[in-house]
Amino acid sequence: MTDPRRYFDDIQVGEEYESPGRTVTEADIVLFAGLSGDYNVLHTDAEFMKQSIFGERIAHGLLGLSIQAGLFTRATQAYATLAFVGLRWKFKGPIKIGDTIRLRAKVAAKKETSKPDRGLVTLERTVVNQRGEVVQEGETDLIVERRRGSP
Amino acid sequence: MSLAAPRFYFEDVVLHGVLETPAITLTEAHVGLYGGLTGDAAREHGLVPDLLPLCLTTGLGWRVPQPPLAVLAFMGFEWVVDLPLRVGDTIHSRSKTTIKRSMRDGGVIVEERQVINQRGEVVQHGKFTFLVAKRPA
Repeated sequence: MTDPRRYFDDIQVGEEYESPGRTVTEADIVLFAGLSGDYNVLHTDAEFMKQSIFGERIAHGLLGLSIQAGLFTRATQAYATLAFVGLRWKFKGPIKIGDTIRLRAKVAAKKETSKPDRGLVTLERTVVNQRGEVVQEGETDLIVERRRGSP
Repeated sequence: MSLAAPRFYFEDVVLHGVLETPAITLTEAHVGLYGGLTGDAAREHGLVPDLLPLCLTTGLGWRVPQPPLAVLAFMGFEWVVDLPLRVGDTIHSRSKTTIKRSMRDGGVIVEERQVINQRGEVVQHGKFTFLVAKRPA
């Protein structure tokens, strides 16, 4: 069977991907609070949040970030990723219960590294809701393997 | 008698004060739950998905002897993964507020955070920017 993963050599600057949508539910937020231990009232106290500028509970920013990481795997064929090295991220707006988010990603840059068997791929990522509003955006850096024998 | 839950406001944040959290051991259960919830998986069996330790440090921040920060909004962050983590590793976090900027409604704080493993190595680190409420008058 051939390796279905995409290598540094295969990935082109300017490529764009769009994921399927995912509806963020109350259950997602409750599970994430339980898993992470982050019980901030923003995510867990419906009565308190009625009085806030959001009017209701909102998803943890890091839940949205983690969901987009999951959506990335459904947006394109897997990369031959060796390591995730970092990100720069902005939270632009709330994700509320019942919102449906999707990921739009674009290959912004490819760079050689000191090691000849790998390269750095920078992706621009935008998380949009059902109204097309950007709720999160940023850049992620991945180290991706080169095809064996490629120059 | 009822007492409002204490919160840590902008005025309470000490510039350059270091906060060290208790530790947590990364387990298969964390990886499985996180994977099922988010769809984000580790690159290989036994490794921990890179964003999971970051998510856990937020919860560790609730286990220090200080009331929770009155966050109005998590504005953004930069993050660097220095070393991979495996199931069985034990992490804690160390953080420090490096910038405090007062605004009309609340204030912006920048917090530098390190995730440290059981050998004392920094495995992930970065900077968070929060909008924090001021103490109600």
